[in-house]
Amino acid sequence: MKTLEEAKQAVIDDFSMYDEWLDKYEYLIELGKNLEEYPEESKTEDKLIKGCQSRVWLDSKVEDGKIWFKADSDAIITKGIISLLISVYSGRDPKEIAEDDFGFISQIGLKENLSPTRANGLVSMIARIKELAAEMVKVEDTKSNGQEVLTAEDAAELAPLYDNVVLAIKQVYDPEIPVNVYDLGLIYELVINKKHEAYIKMTFTAPTCPMADEVLAEVKKSVADVPGITGCEVELTFEPPWDQSMLSDEARVELGLDLND
Amino acid sequence: MNIQDIRNMFPALSQTVYGKPLVYFDNAATSQRLESVVRRMDRLSLGTNANIHRAVHKLATEATEEYESTRDAVRDFLNAGSREEIVFTSGTTASINLVAYSFGETFVHEGDEIIVSEEEHHSNIVPWQLLCERKGAILKVLGIDDEGHLKVDDLKALITSRTKLACIAHVSNVLGIVNPVKEIVNICHSASCPVLVDGAQGIVHQRVDVRDLDCDFYAFSGHKMYAATGTGVLYGKKEWLDRMVPFMGGGEMIETVKFSGTTYAPLPGKFEAGTQNINAIPTLKDAIAFMGLLEDKELQAEMKEVEQFLTRELSLVYGVPRGTEKKIPLYSFVVKGAHHEDLALILDKMGIAVRSGQMCAEPLMDRFGVTGMVRVSIAPYNTLQEAEYFIKSLDKAVSMLV
Repeated sequence: MKTLEEAKQAVIDDFSMYDEWLDKYEYLIELGKNLEEYPEESKTEDKLIKGCQSRVWLDSKVEDGKIWFKADSDAIITKGIISLLISVYSGRDPKEIAEDDFGFISQIGLKENLSPTRANGLVSMIARIKELAAEMVKVEDTKSNGQEVLTAEDAAELAPLYDNVVLAIKQVYDPEIPVNVYDLGLIYELVINKKHEAYIKMTFTAPTCPMADEVLAEVKKSVADVPGITGCEVELTFEPPWDQSMLSDEARVELGLDLND
Repeated sequence: MNIQDIRNMFPALSQTVYGKPLVYFDNAATSQRLESVVRRMDRLSLGTNANIHRAVHKLATEATEEYESTRDAVRDFLNAGSREEIVFTSGTTASINLVAYSFGETFVHEGDEIIVSEEEHHSNIVPWQLLCERKGAILKVLGIDDEGHLKVDDLKALITSRTKLACIAHVSNVLGIVNPVKEIVNICHSASCPVLVDGAQGIVHQRVDVRDLDCDFYAFSGHKMYAATGTGVLYGKKEWLDRMVPFMGGGEMIETVKFSGTTYAPLPGKFEAGTQNINAIPTLKDAIAFMGLLEDKELQAEMKEVEQFLTRELSLVYGVPRGTEKKIPLYSFVVKGAHHEDLALILDKMGIAVRSGQMCAEPLMDRFGVTGMVRVSIAPYNTLQEAEYFIKSLDKAVSMLV
């Protein structure tokens, strides 16, 4: 894979072949038409970046510490620019993206397409890409701080915090099942680092949970409110997918399931 | 007088963009400025710059005269009953908000109703939504048919004894159709419901006689009719303005101020708190004088030719406009397979300024099931040559996209 700088240079080189504006647009239209298909089912309200002009959908996933983007637009020139952005930024280290100034867009003369006065989805798309990357960096930082070497004293100090954080997580209930998210087995990882920041990796019983954002926010808030906790990052994963074997015994009793089920 | 004479009055039109002559077809958003408008603003800013109404010195007297003679010119232009019925504002939006607040505070209570139409600009929707929220009142919507005409026949049934005001655009900023305002006012008045007319587009393309229309309020902006930005007018019948509480408090709008209680200035001062846009409001005089020139027969024939050309070409290829019987030269359309933003971006690079998007009328876009449209709106300075170049460019843009 090319480095970020190489990928940018490749786009700049491509564009330098066209003197005329209409040719540049022809090229973008071509790119737009060839953009990798975006799944219809991902055209959901939460992925939609609304503007007065074109609409843009942006989806991202994290794999092996890299952030991958998929996007679509109802306008073809915007779609062409999306194709450029994806070719440059998708599959990169989130840190690299978060620190990038996206200045190459103006280098290829597309600055006016990005002027905030245009009120189109593109400006917001770039902002969202940076936001997602920055979020990812923060999650990674918290996580890696959790892998630090602890002294016996550190461990003793952290122990009661773990108890309280678990209690806090147990305050959050699944919107459909009368069992809290901890006993449901939705929490896959919980780490508290020396700075007393909590990192939580969790899942949902189904990937389509319509209340997902609310529940994540609730977990984050509940944990952040624990005295002594200085911050909380929650990451969502569906790997491995949740199944009934992850239920705690308490949850089984609550749901009237056989304990050996 | 011909179109070229008119063009010569607008310095901005002679510029090029991306090396191509500017074709300015976004006049419904804002028109270009008359040179006389710019000159007057210059003169007032550099020379006759003083605050109006209060001081006795020479500059203040001259500035006051500039400002107040504008009121007379506007009264005359609208054929209003008296100069007290002319309130200066910063534009249509400010005029409507003034009524939404002052009329609302005075006359609208919980359970009362306000009527707007489905084709209104956001400026004639949101102030009423805010009022309804504040007062617990109900916003009712007069629909439009598939051709974009107001369902005037439904109006009578929509009005009840709780309806306090109906707010209707003179001309829709998307459809360009001239609404039968006089008939609407008649229907509303027969049910004792006053009417506010949003004249932002309506004032630009026709003579408006507020006494003939018999509307209770008429709001418009200066910047769409060649005057300076930040200038606007609210015409209101004296009987309403007199009874309405003030909008903003401050200097100029008072008679006496005591901590035991303040009395307000007579009309129109009551609604003009604080220092007004004193160097810009007088440019309305130049705009009004210019509007007079447009009645020239030779010029009108030439303008008609441009309009007919666009109507013919656009309806042939793109099936627009809808209902053409009474329209201003404004065309909004959708090209199948080509996004409005893409079209506007390509046309821009060809030197042509058009509008794309929702045009601040989201409910109307929803009504026609689209996310946006391209809008072309021409002014008396747009030539046949420009119109021909536009049609050719549009064809080219469409062929790139479809």
